Amino acid sequence: MPVEALTLVPKAEARQTPKDFKSDQEVRWCPGCGDYAILAAVQGFMPELGLARENIVFVSGIGCSSRFPYYMNTYGMHSIHGRAPAIATGLAASRRDLSVWVVTGDGDALSIGGNHLIHALRRNVNLKILLFNNRIYGLTKGQYSPTSEVGKITKSTPMGSLDAPFNPVSLALGAEASFVARTVDSDRKHLTETLRQAAAHPGTALIEIYQNCNIFNDGAYDVLKDKQSAEEAVIRLEHGRPIRFGADGARGVVRDRATGDLEVVTVTPDNESDVLVHDAHAATPTTAFALSRLADPTTLNHTPIGVFRSVERPVYDTLMADQLDTAIEQHGKGDLALLLAGNDTWTVESAS
Amino acid sequence: MTYVIAQPCVDLKDKACVDECPVDCIYEGARKLYINPDECVDCGACEPVCPVEAIYFEDDLPDGWTDFRRADTEFFADLGAPGGAAGVGPADRDHPVVAELPVPASS
Ligand SMILES: Cc1ncc(C[n+]2csc(CCOP(=O)(O)OP(=O)(O)O)c2C)c(N)n1
Ligand code: SF4
Ligand code: SF4
Ligand code: SF4
Ligand SMILES: [Mg+2]
Repeated sequence: MPVEALTLVPKAEARQTPKDFKSDQEVRWCPGCGDYAILAAVQGFMPELGLARENIVFVSGIGCSSRFPYYMNTYGMHSIHGRAPAIATGLAASRRDLSVWVVTGDGDALSIGGNHLIHALRRNVNLKILLFNNRIYGLTKGQYSPTSEVGKITKSTPMGSLDAPFNPVSLALGAEASFVARTVDSDRKHLTETLRQAAAHPGTALIEIYQNCNIFNDGAYDVLKDKQSAEEAVIRLEHGRPIRFGADGARGVVRDRATGDLEVVTVTPDNESDVLVHDAHAATPTTAFALSRLADPTTLNHTPIGVFRSVERPVYDTLMADQLDTAIEQHGKGDLALLLAGNDTWTVESAS
Repeated sequence: MTYVIAQPCVDLKDKACVDECPVDCIYEGARKLYINPDECVDCGACEPVCPVEAIYFEDDLPDGWTDFRRADTEFFADLGAPGGAAGVGPADRDHPVVAELPVPASS
């Protein structure tokens, strides 16, 4: 598959299989953890890209999810809590021959690493960020996280959490992200298709992956996984298609003309033509943002999954490389030692 | 790599494993359950809950039961990876390795 975002990354010499991406490390997540399904989906997808493994890097922060790089037979770095986007930014900007992926959790990305995340998104660095959202701190044994629902009872909030959660998709859209998607750990097909679209995107792609932590927050997404309840809970976004869901597409999303807000209606012959057609490539993020607000943060009813937004805008790595070329053209190749010992340095002589 | 369901499950089908599997890849045959090797994500959740220790990581299958690996793989020859057992429902067939086992006299 020729992928525009990856033209500078060398191709593998031979055909790859998912096995080529499995490392020799024993996988140490709790039995039944949603992370296994995500790992299998990523390992299953990588051969499709056909990139040289030594030119692929997975950078993570700290958390259960952040153990991911150990299990990928690629380069990787289990870095500092919340700092994966910063480290990956440096790597992607200085090595455009690498395919750089970030694996992070809801705590890692949105608590301690919140600033790093928004600035990577704003810069549009060529990174693919997989945000495993289990709505809990898993590694530290179950404290509430910035995506936990209000009133969450955990070890650190015995009487219920008081603060309103972040919606990672809304947050990313507000931070100028050029590609934002959401998918679910157990839906292999949807997860793989989302990875495919993210990989093809030039610039930062953020995928929020709803992930079950079966030990400290089991069943957080059951309403989206149970066939019956999913009918009313899951809205599958597909570019260019009317946003309809439920049994036989009985429900649809329309815009309230007075407020511009979106709402869910039962589709009738009268309102059918009003049903919104999903446009992931819309120039402004307004409608994508409105879509991200449809879900009820407590019940998760009306949760859109799929690509909310995918637009092209200048990529930081490219801009930086071009600027360096221009600088060399205009001023010649620089001399770092000369710069360091330049005008603004002085020596403090000893008094004696 | 995948987990495999061996002999002890035959004619028992307690199905405790089915509730544990996060990706719903344990499919029901007439006399045994079968793990879809293309869908299993190796999470190990099913193995400890089986009351009769029928489930093994494929490399750890006891010597006499290695045929069950073939059974679990070949059971899906036509079915492929349908993306969840709930949508498929129980099958009224078994792989020959299972079908050829003697049926216990009903009590
Ligand atoms: C500087 C620093 N502060 C705090 C911690 C403790 N800590 C480890 S992981 C973690 C949160 C992990 O949550 P999340 O990112 O959601 O990952 P999960 O385990 O849920 O996958 C915290 C607070 C740490 N390791 N380092
Ligand atoms: S604590 Fe939760 S997130 Fe961490 S490995 Fe266990 S199940 Fe997975
Ligand atoms: S729990 Fe064990 S005996 Fe029961 S269906 Fe699963 S494998 Fe068979
Ligand atoms: S190892 Fe996990 S994914 Fe595989 S069959 Fe067992 S529960 Fe399902
Ligand atoms: Mg978490």
